[in-house]
Parts: sequence; structure tokens; C-alpha cells
Amino acid sequence: MNAGLVDWIWTVRGSVELAPGQTHEEAFDRLDPLFHTGGTSHQRTGDTLTFSKKAQAAQDKMSIFDGGVLRIEQGATGGVLRYRLTSRALLFCFLAPLLFLTFAGLTIAVGKLDKPAAEAAEKKKPEKKEVVRELNPVDKFLGAPAPEKPKKDDKKDEDEGPSPVPAYVFAGLFAVLYVVGRILEDRLIRRLFRKRLSDDLPDDRQAAV
Amino acid sequence: MDGVRVGNRIIGAQSPVAVGWENVPRVEGGPVKRFVFTWFQPTLFFALIAFWYYAPNSIAKASTAIVIGLGLMVLLLALEWVNPRFKSWQLTWKEAVVDLFYVGLGFTVLRLIEGYIGDGAMIGAIQNAFEWEKLSWFTGLPLLVQAFLISFIFDFGQYWMHRGMHNWQPLWVIHAPHHYITQLNINKGAVGNPIELFLIGLGIGGFFDFLPRAALLAGTFGMAVSTYQHINVRFNTPRWWRFLFNTTEHHSVHHSQDYEASRSNYSGTWIIIDRMFGTCIDGEAELLGMEGGRKMSIRETMTFPFTEGWTSLKERFGRGRYGQAMPAAMTAEWPAE
Repeated sequence: MNAGLVDWIWTVRGSVELAPGQTHEEAFDRLDPLFHTGGTSHQRTGDTLTFSKKAQAAQDKMSIFDGGVLRIEQGATGGVLRYRLTSRALLFCFLAPLLFLTFAGLTIAVGKLDKPAAEAAEKKKPEKKEVVRELNPVDKFLGAPAPEKPKKDDKKDEDEGPSPVPAYVFAGLFAVLYVVGRILEDRLIRRLFRKRLSDDLPDDRQAAV
Repeated sequence: MDGVRVGNRIIGAQSPVAVGWENVPRVEGGPVKRFVFTWFQPTLFFALIAFWYYAPNSIAKASTAIVIGLGLMVLLLALEWVNPRFKSWQLTWKEAVVDLFYVGLGFTVLRLIEGYIGDGAMIGAIQNAFEWEKLSWFTGLPLLVQAFLISFIFDFGQYWMHRGMHNWQPLWVIHAPHHYITQLNINKGAVGNPIELFLIGLGIGGFFDFLPRAALLAGTFGMAVSTYQHINVRFNTPRWWRFLFNTTEHHSVHHSQDYEASRSNYSGTWIIIDRMFGTCIDGEAELLGMEGGRKMSIRETMTFPFTEGWTSLKERFGRGRYGQAMPAAMTAEWPAE
């Protein structure tokens, strides 16, 4: 199977045009500070820069990427930076819904296994007399609603066992977060590279990017 | 770095810590912004208390608390965006996903396991074994007194569990992963090894009978006070609040890279417990984490108690077998709260 068919899940590809006349050395010099953050190692060979990251800091502007290759190619209109960046965070987020769906399945299975034992334990229990509890006179005076009288249906609700709903909710949340992250991080990295390569910014603003 | 003397300890000698409220920055901006971020915390707190006190029985239910909790989480995430305490703590997509993963574990697998071995199950087993009924001393007390007792008794236990985690190696290796967080955000409280999340949730409240409304009122202390332990929002917290309650400032000191500073502010809600036992430090820290702010991966967070526990055991055996003293490098890694 062609890896390109599935590796879009964890791989971000893109390109940014260089300023007219900008050489690959100048371009990589401008990008260089991005690869001097904690846990990052990089290597420049001619028109190619490869990097890898480990235990990257939370505020590292490329923290979601674990490695990648940046190459300067000469196009018809000038130099173009092409990049291919891999992210375990994206892959993890893509797979997280499956994990939570597994948790949901596990919850349902445990609930089914547990039901006969819970029912048997319930039968054994002697019937307890439900006590009607009253509010303290201070609370009565202040107008707090009185506690409800115990209902017979309450027990039924309690015995329903663990619910798989939270697991479904989290599976959905991670699916949404993946889509958001895949689009957002693609745009953010392109913007970061474009800003750093741009000639418009003075040096102090470049440092802040 | 010189640090500041607090009692008989030097705080901030290894990593910067602002000690004393006068050294903690205030909310900056226009009058509206300052007004909002001065009154937000007490207003929400008293509004929630009033809501749970007067809400009809049909509304005063745990499911309503979950909906309010989720709504509050979204609101606080928005506040992190509007008025961050530190830019260096800003939430990124990756941080949000990782934090949410731990939150998800808490709501799913951990909850499932807790149903069998959590405090509720343990207390139920004890009550059955000794044929004890729940202690119903408190149900006749005023609701707010009951709520205070539920919250305070739980937090008192949590204080000692937390302090134990920082002072006893077998508990420390379980708690340590939580201290590798390098910034505070709304869901960072859930980040850590699942065993720790289980231990810190243990309480003795199950032995007592309370009115359901009192339990919901007690939950307000968790929702409207403890939540601010891990949050990246700058508030002008009222004096009375920061005297009684834990704040982001207190908890940032607890997560500081400074070893002595991190051995403080153990309570979850009632910082007054720390004041009672002399472990409170009023102040703020921006540089958080362990080992100079090294990030810990999810995999290492899951395995750390076992790998580190095994290493500690080997070191102990090694010392006993060869009669060697513990090397200095090893003692430096001793609980760094």
C-alpha cells in the first residue's frame, strides 16, 4: 500500500515561496533559531535540513512535530521551501477515539458481567426502612427546599451500573480535536515558516516569531 | 540566586519564586477588565452557593452539577485566552489534547475501576463487614455547615495524602509525574499517573450520611475554588479568599522548579490547613516542573512509578549488599514535591 495514502494522518506537507534572490543558506539561517530549542537536533546538508525532536517543551513553536525534512527547490519563479513534518501527537489524537470506543465496549462488557452478581447481592440485602430526613430549622427559615421523600424507583436508577456515555463523548471530542489540529497546525507551521522567511520583518520582530 | 527566608527555609534559591502578595502582579488593563477579574471568583462562588441552596429538588441533582462543571470549564478556557497569567503557560493544541486525554481516563477507565476498589467500595465493604450504618450525625446540621464539613474533612485527608506523597518515596514515585507539568491550565489537575489520581481521590466521606443538597453545596468548593489551582488566568483574588482558599498563586509555588518552594501548599481547597501546619507559602512562580522543566511523555507518565520504583529498590538492595553510602546524585532526586 502506498504510504502516502495514510501518512497524511501524521504528516504535514507544504511549501513556502522564498523571497526573490534568497539563497537556501539565507533561508535556513532565518529558520535556524527554530531548531535550537530544547530536545531538538538538526543537520544541514546543502539544500536540505533534517531535524528531530524529543521531549520538546510545551511552548516550542514546533512542539507537535517529532521530526522532518525541509528542502529548498528551485522553481520557475524562484526558490521554494518544501517541507514534510511528522507528528506523533496527530497520530495519537487520530487513534484516541478508537481507544475511548474500546473503553466504552469494556464498560458495557463489565456491566453485563456484573449484573447477575449485583442482582443476587440486592436480593440478599434486608429491606431497609427509608428515613424521611428533615432540614435544620435555620435552613427552613432561610427557605431552602425540603429533601424529597425517598422514592422506590431510586434504587433502580442506582443499579444501572457504569455508563459508556462518557467514553463515547470523549471519542467524539478527540475526533473533533483531530480535525481541528490537522487543519490548525498545518496553517500555523506554514505561517511560522513564511514569517521567518519574510524580508518584511525587522530583526527584533523576527526573533519574536 | 539568593532566595527569600520563610520561617527556617530559603525559598527561591534554585528557581525564581515571588514570595509575598506585594510581589505578585495585579491585573492590568482598563477599568472593566480589572473589575471583571477582581470580582469574577467571589461572584461565581456565592452565585453557585445560592443556586444549590435554593434550587428545586428537580434541578439540584448531580447531572446538573456535571453540566455546570462543563460549562464552567469552557468559560475558564476562554478566560485563559483573554487574560493569561503568563504567556509562557499559553494553552497549545497539543497541550489541550494531552490534558484532555488524562481527563478522559478519569471519566472512563478510572471511574470503572474505582467502582470496585475506590473509597466508596472500600467503605461499603467495611460497613457491611461490621454491619455499620452510615453515621448520621450531620444530617440535622444546617446545610452550609454540612457542606463545609464534607469539603474540609475531605481536604484534610487530601492534605496528608499529598504531604505523604512528597515525603515517602513509594508514594512520591506515584505522584512525581504530575510535577513534570511545566505550565498550569484548566485541565492540568488531571495530568499524572492514574494510580495517583485514584489515591488522591480517596476520602472518608462515605462513612457519613449527608443531605444530597449538602453534598452538592460541598461540590461548589471544588468547582469554584479548587479549579483555580491549575489555571492560566490572572485574577485580583480578594485577601480573605487567599487567606482561606488555595489559589493559582499558591499552587504555582507548589509546582515551582525550586525544591524548597515545592514542599509547600499541599491542600486542594483550604489553604488554611497549610497555614495550620506551617506549610503555606504565599507567592507565585512561573518556572514550573522537574529536572529544569523536562517534559514527560504520556508513556513515561504511565510507567514512571514502576520503573522508578524498581530503580529505587535496586538502589536499596545495592547499598545493603555492598555497604556503600547513597551517592549524592541519588539523594538529589529525593522527593522534590
